[in-house]
Amino acid sequence: MSKILGIDLGTTNSAMAVMEGGEPKVLENQEGNRTTPSVVAVSKASERLVGLLAKRQSVVNPKNTIFSVKRLIGRKSKDSEVLHDKAWLPYEIKESDSGGVLIAMGGRDHTPEEISAMVLQKLKADAEAKLGEKIDEAVITVPAYFDDSQRQATKNAGEIAGFKVRRIVNEPTAAALAYGIDRKKEEKIAVYDFGGGTFDISILEVGEVDMGDGKKEPHVEVKATGGDTHLGGDDFDRIIIEYLVVEYKKQEGIDLSKDTLALQRLKEAAERAKHELSTTQETEINLPYVTSDTSGPKHFLIKLTRAKLESLVRDLIDRSIDLVKEAVTAPSPKGAGLKLSDINEVVLVGGQTRMPAIAEAVKKLFGREPHKGINPDEVVAVGAAIQAGILQGDVKDVLLLDVTPLTLSIETLGSVATPMIEKNTTIPTLKTQIFSTAADNQTSVEIHIGQGERPMMADNKTLARFILDGLPPSPRGMPQVEVTFDIDANGILNVKAVDKASGKTQSIRIEASTSLNKEEIEKLKQEAAKFASEDAKKKETVEARNQADSLVYVAEKSLKDAGDKISAEIKDSVQKQIDLLKSVKDGNDTGAIQKAIQELSAELRKIGESMYNKKDDAQPGDNKSV
Amino acid sequence: MEEGKDKNKNQDAASQSDLTEIDACKKERDEYLDGWKRAKADFINYKKDEARRIEDALKFANEAILQELIAILDSFHLAIESHENKEETKGLLLIMSQLEESLRRFGLEKISVNPGDKFDPMTEEAIQEISSERSPGTVHEEVGKGYKLYGRVVRPARVIISKGQAN
Repeated sequence: MSKILGIDLGTTNSAMAVMEGGEPKVLENQEGNRTTPSVVAVSKASERLVGLLAKRQSVVNPKNTIFSVKRLIGRKSKDSEVLHDKAWLPYEIKESDSGGVLIAMGGRDHTPEEISAMVLQKLKADAEAKLGEKIDEAVITVPAYFDDSQRQATKNAGEIAGFKVRRIVNEPTAAALAYGIDRKKEEKIAVYDFGGGTFDISILEVGEVDMGDGKKEPHVEVKATGGDTHLGGDDFDRIIIEYLVVEYKKQEGIDLSKDTLALQRLKEAAERAKHELSTTQETEINLPYVTSDTSGPKHFLIKLTRAKLESLVRDLIDRSIDLVKEAVTAPSPKGAGLKLSDINEVVLVGGQTRMPAIAEAVKKLFGREPHKGINPDEVVAVGAAIQAGILQGDVKDVLLLDVTPLTLSIETLGSVATPMIEKNTTIPTLKTQIFSTAADNQTSVEIHIGQGERPMMADNKTLARFILDGLPPSPRGMPQVEVTFDIDANGILNVKAVDKASGKTQSIRIEASTSLNKEEIEKLKQEAAKFASEDAKKKETVEARNQADSLVYVAEKSLKDAGDKISAEIKDSVQKQIDLLKSVKDGNDTGAIQKAIQELSAELRKIGESMYNKKDDAQPGDNKSV
Repeated sequence: MEEGKDKNKNQDAASQSDLTEIDACKKERDEYLDGWKRAKADFINYKKDEARRIEDALKFANEAILQELIAILDSFHLAIESHENKEETKGLLLIMSQLEESLRRFGLEKISVNPGDKFDPMTEEAIQEISSERSPGTVHEEVGKGYKLYGRVVRPARVIISKGQAN
């Protein structure tokens, strides 16, 4: 079953995404970019170029470089919008026999569908290369205000590109889908979409429709649309550049707008400054050697603050807010005939919404925090992919794998819960770990299995306990007990403990390892969060205690092993430190335990040092015999 | 005789139902085996993809900082070009080569463009078109260096294109 591609076919840029492993994933194009310019050209060498490559030669080939074709698709050549756009678009627009639009490119006339199809074809080829499989189906998005003819033409473009177009989806609906707010009942959603070249506001209402068989399906209805097809992020860039050119003229008396290379550098710098001011308050536009005059090279250095930028583009933001107000409050058909307070959710789409002043203005207008978080350049493509996933749903993965809701642990020295299988691990799974004994000649170990996120076993839920006995007597730490946790696909946990020396085995089967209900799981998780810092302290104490235990053991053993080889003085001082550590180790003062551990360690080093010195004294000629 | 026939019939019916059951089991087995193979293949492919993704992420992790440094290289080029006395700019030139050499070690390579080359939008961006003695559609002059990172264009070379002789 091949994947269905979700495509945001934009006026200036397009993006694509697919569902992979149940998650939407934006695909990079061949050039390694996540968006592709919606530009097509026939170069002077008669090559067809699409995307970035077409854009790179647009300056020298304006008549054969076609952009903004979305403004023309499905329209009649006498439409007022077409007449308006015809005036500024640099390529030739003609009327077809049926009164539609034809675009001249490379000595041939093309319908807007054909041009859009070239963009879609590139996306298709790049997606296929990326995924390594053929893609025959697509979900394509269109603005909510597109009429039947524009939708049909977009669908045709998809078919020309070789797709079976499974659905044409409204861009704002796709954005709502991406944020998962399409399933809420009786919600009113405002989608504020500030793209590169267009500004759209859409008011959606989510309701339910009866599917006839008693089943109800969520349904998204477009209540109103508004906007300005000639207001976009590019206008922001233009205003910044104009400001910089004017400022420079004031400073140096030189007009940079006549210098192509300088203007190019300025354009890049302006774009970068705009992006930077979304996160910082001030930025510096520094272009050394930007131009030169008779007195020599000239440099460009201007500071731009966020406040200045906001004052420059305030009119554009205010205009968008006025359009939003109109779309929400004006009576139908101009608007949705609602109050601003009727809107339950606000979604931001389009790169320009990264500007804090815009997010702030929208928030102030609706009195609620807008949804952001998903990359605003990609959110529509992500929504299209989710719609594609829903369509693919009829061949849903037969194999639904569950996860363990809580961590499964085993109790170790000091009642610590040592995780064996962490929460959210996909099952079936199997984990094995080796444990050992805590005391000399310990012949049995208790395997205590618990469930929960708290670090101390007593605070988690006990699932089972069993004893593995018959371990051959040996010093602590020597035996190797291999413990295996194995959860099958049904959530049944098998725990097995094997003593590697004797081969003795014991196991238990726990049926209910994942059968906690939702409330229980939530309760355990909340408790874990609530007691996190307290638990961490407790664990630290236990760890110090465990360390103290093993150090006391080592110290006592060293004293015994050293016997007469060390002085009574050292013996006494070590013994004193051992006693001190023993006296504090069962208390709750972690600091005191750690201090006593350090002191005993220092004393212990003296045993070693003294023994080496003795060796040197007693056998001065040893080295020679080697 | 009759009895025997009946018995055979019963046996036939029994083996028939056994066969159907075996077929059903086989079918189920094939489905499961197929599902398991697919899952395993998905996992192996995922691991391969992941390895490639990590490799790419490491390779291109420096892209953003290289982009910034390219702007500085541009300024160096402009500084050197704007001075007529080459002796004076020798120091600058050395600093620039030092920077270029460092960036080269991180995978950045300069795109080579020569006047008279055919314009190539794969690696070049045309910023202007002028009349010149060079043949139309070829590079008249390179005004900004272009760079690639492990074969991927991080910035196209900025070029002025010739539209041929005036008239």
